[in-house]
This record gives sequence, structure tokens and C-alpha cells, in this order.
Amino acid sequence: MLACASPAFAAEVSVEVRTQSGAPVRDAVVSLYPGGRPAPLPAGRRSYEIAQRNIQFSPFVQVVPVGSIVAFPNFDAVRHHVYSFSAAKRFELKLYAKEQNRTVLFDRPGAVPLGCNIHDNMSAFIKVTDTAFSAKTDANGRVSFAGVPPGMTVARVWHPYLRAPGNEVELRWTFGAGRAAEQVRVALRPPPPRAAAY
Amino acid sequence: MVSGMFARPFLWLLMLLAPAAARAAEPALPAGFSAVGELRIAGADGEPSWTDGGFGKLRAGGGADGDFRLKPRLTEGELIWQPRFGWALSGTIVAGAQRGQEHAVDLIEAFATWKPMPLGDTRLSVRAGLMWPPVSLEHQGAAWTVADMITPSAANSWIGEEVKVMGAEATVSRGTVSATAAIFGFNDTAGTLLAFRGWALHDLKATAFGHQRLPPLNAFLAGGVQAPATLPSVELDDRPGFYGKLAWRPAPAVALEAFYYDNRANPEAVSPALQWGWRTRFVDLGVRVQLAEHTRLLAQAMTGSTRMGYDEGYGIWVHTRFRAAYARLSQDAGRTTLSGRIDLFGTTDRGSETGPQESEEGWAATGAAAYRLSPHVQLLVEALRVDSRRGARLRLGLDPRQVQNQFQAALRLSI
Repeated sequence: MLACASPAFAAEVSVEVRTQSGAPVRDAVVSLYPGGRPAPLPAGRRSYEIAQRNIQFSPFVQVVPVGSIVAFPNFDAVRHHVYSFSAAKRFELKLYAKEQNRTVLFDRPGAVPLGCNIHDNMSAFIKVTDTAFSAKTDANGRVSFAGVPPGMTVARVWHPYLRAPGNEVELRWTFGAGRAAEQVRVALRPPPPRAAAY
Repeated sequence: MVSGMFARPFLWLLMLLAPAAARAAEPALPAGFSAVGELRIAGADGEPSWTDGGFGKLRAGGGADGDFRLKPRLTEGELIWQPRFGWALSGTIVAGAQRGQEHAVDLIEAFATWKPMPLGDTRLSVRAGLMWPPVSLEHQGAAWTVADMITPSAANSWIGEEVKVMGAEATVSRGTVSATAAIFGFNDTAGTLLAFRGWALHDLKATAFGHQRLPPLNAFLAGGVQAPATLPSVELDDRPGFYGKLAWRPAPAVALEAFYYDNRANPEAVSPALQWGWRTRFVDLGVRVQLAEHTRLLAQAMTGSTRMGYDEGYGIWVHTRFRAAYARLSQDAGRTTLSGRIDLFGTTDRGSETGPQESEEGWAATGAAAYRLSPHVQLLVEALRVDSRRGARLRLGLDPRQVQNQFQAALRLSI
């Protein structure tokens, strides 16, 4: 979670994301827009990391606020050639083995799929968010937010394999002061089949 | 009956080695090198394997009277070197030792790959050298290993043993569509084994310099016309062949492929060593569907023809039409992957030396379990039954129908 603003009668909101058949969905990014507007991002941590380890990105999904710097350390003994052609950020990075100082600034909100030009099976996503209430679900499909202002909130749930336009669904919730628990059911596509490595 | 005095101790050795191998410290090779090795035990009934000069359709064969015989197959392995020359250019060189090959160690693949950074949504990759065309949906990795099974389908067994080219291939991908085109040489004999032996199911791969044995030929062909073994990587007529492929992913979990191959070999070309040009053409359709997160379906269907020799007024000497299809379902359950596959295959002969009476029909059913002991060690067990009828066997006084069962267990190590 990115921030905990604490207005007087704030809500503590827990969200559970599950598939239609009830299985928990991890790595779903839940973003709350109190009153339909982004909650101002706090001044604070603005540097994140996506590691390359065992010929895979880690983590698979990283949530970062707009304006963040993401480092791409390479812990493998082989080179990686990381790139994205997303609308939110286009970049390419040449990472020599064990080189740890390459960073990229993410200055527009949106989803940024990552690939490696050398290893086709490497895949990860950066979700660049413009609201302070934004975080991803854990292995149990749960995420929680403290200090959410009461009233109507627009909630967006994004997942790389979510079966919806832009891989995102939008909901409207109304919170009072105190605790609130919401459950979201989403339809996921099966992950893309592994490419044959010719 | 289980014979082979080393079989049972070997099985115990396999069981003892498996956990030890899984616990072994992180193995390491110099950067750019990797290796795949297998300890295997194989048992089969029925006729001796085609690799021993018979009509047996599997890699293992039965005992002298066709009874079940279990045999250790100690070491098989491949060493892979993938050097990088800059960010876009790399090489893949694979040398392997496989039991049943002419040379103890032989070159298997050697090609360069050029893959520049994608231009937006469009990406290009180029390969050049000795390589398999991208037909098989079952094989993976630089060592071209069958994923989660031991024996590939009949269709891809043939690709592995005879369809390897020396060529240059370019693939352009954009969005969900990709197109591949290639020109090649050094595959003029493709079809020899398929026409003379028929289909087979095995994981023996063609090598750069090794011959593959043919079954007994008729008196005319054996009498100084066709060599008793075929060399897959040979150029006889200096006529390049070509292949092309279209792949489309209509949905994230569905991949469709269409492939066409024509080696454009001159069927009258012959080398002093009696290797002939075989004009081989085929089309292959493939589909891969991720049915659920842990369930996937693979299927391919192939049909084509191969022709060799002269037409002396009764049709060309050998003209074989061939077809094969399989469907394979795989289910992951934790560290285990269970797979089942059904193969259908057949040939229709209409040559003057190999007429309709030599044709073949058959099917095979294969079940396999693969258990991942560690990221580097996989234990595989596989059972296979193949039932076929091949007219050419009558010439040798054999029953045209042949049924074989094979059991294999393997410890697959990759570093």
C-alpha cells in the first residue's frame, strides 16, 4: 500500500479478489478513487525494484506511484535485454550480468508489460498508479487499505490476465467510518502458453 | 518376462540416484554452456527396434522370441553452447551422444540467431545454420527435448530423424500473427526412412554426420540401387528447398500454426554412396490450447508425399503418401505433469517398386508422468502401445500386423 491518509472518520477497507469459481487471485492491483478522484500521492518512497533472477522477473507485478524510479538489478549470470513498448512507458535496458544500477522513471499512469529480448519466457508487469490507495493482492487474494475517506469510492481492479477491456474492471463502493470488507469476482484468462524455444 | 541381468539393479540405482541428484548443490557450467543428460531404463516386447535394422517401431525392442525385455540405457546426453555476440546475435551449438547412433558423439544443431530489438509491435528474428524447422509443438529448449514425456509423436519422431535442414529462416511477428519463411539445402534424403520403414515413435535425433539404418529393401533396391542406411543431412542436386509457417494466436490461450515444407529434391539425383534425392512435400497444422491454468492440449496433423527414382513407364520407383496426427493432453498437479497422447498414422504406396500392398496403417497410445524433483532433475515414466499393419512386412514373411508395448523410466538432468 502506498499511503495512509488519516482523516477524522476514515474507513479501513479490506478487499478480496476471487475468480468466478472462488479461487483467490493474487497479483490483482486494487486502486481506490475516493469521490471518483485520485487520492493525492504522499511525498515519500519513490524507488522500487524489479529483479532478474533465475531467468525471470521478480516480482511478477509491481505497483508504483507516478513519478517512481524503478531499478532493474540483474542477479543472473547471463545478460538480459529488458524492454517495454507500452503506451505508459517505452524503454529498453541492456543489463550485463550482475550489473545493478540501471533505473527507469515511470512518469505516466498505466500498465507497463515487461519483456526480455533474449529470454522470451520472461514476463512481468508494472502498474503505474496515480492514486495513493493502490496495492496488489497477496496469495490469499486479499489487500487492505487504511484511512480511506468515507463516502462513494470508485474501485478499479486490474490483473494482467483479467478478462475485461484494458484488463480492468471498475466498481463503486460506499464506505462509512469503520471497517468495510468487499469481495470482487473476476474472470481470468488462462495465462498465455509458453512459447516454444526454437 | 523380464530379462536383462542389469535391469533390476539399474532400476534400484535410478531410485537411489533420483533424490541424491535432486539434493545436489546447484550445478554450474561455464557461462553460455548448458547440458541435458538422461539415465534411462527401457523395456519392450515385439520385434527388434528399427535402429537394429528391423521393422520394430520403437526405440527399444523385445527379446529373441518377442517377449518383454528390460534394458538399462545408461548415458545419453547433450552439451549445448550458446555464445552471445552482442545484444542481438547469438549462436546455438548442440553436440550429443545418443545410443543407437553411428558416431558416439555427433553434432546435432549449429545455428546463429539474430534477434534485434522489436520495432514497436513488430519483431524480427533470423536463424541460419543446421537446425530443425519449427514444426514440432512437443519439443522445447535448445536441446530440443520432448516436454514432460520421453517419446514424441509419430509425426515429430519423423521430423526429429529426417527433417533437419541447413538453411536461413526469417520470422516476422506483429501482434498475434507471425510469418516464417526459409530456404534450405542438405535435406534431400528426407522421406527415405518414412517410405521404407514407415512411421515410428522414438526420440532418436538426426545428427549432422550419422547414418540411420533402413529395414531390409526389396531385391531391386538392395541390389546396388539404394544404400542400406540413409544420411539425413546431404545435398545432392544443388536445388534449394523452402518452408513457410503462419502462426496466429486468436486468443491468449490459443495458438494455431500452419506449416508447409518442400525440399524440391530431384528424385533422380543420386550420390556415389547411393543416397537418393527424395522429393518430399508436406503440410502440418498445429494447435496449442491452454484449457485451464494447469491443463493444455496439443495437436498436430500432417500430410504429404515423397518420391524417389525413375519413372520407367510404370510410375516412379517409390511414391509414398503419408499422414499422421496426434492429440496430447497434459495436466499439471503440483510437481507432477500427467500426459496422455493418441497417435494415428498411415502411408499409401503407389510406386513401381513399393506398390499399394506395402502401405501402412496404425495407431499408438502413450501415457506419461513427469515428476520434478528439483529445478534440475525430472523423473519420467512412460508407457506406450503401438499397433500397426504394414504390407511391406509380408515380403519378409512377417505378419503385416505388429503390436508393441514399451515401458521407459528416465532421470532427466539439466544444468
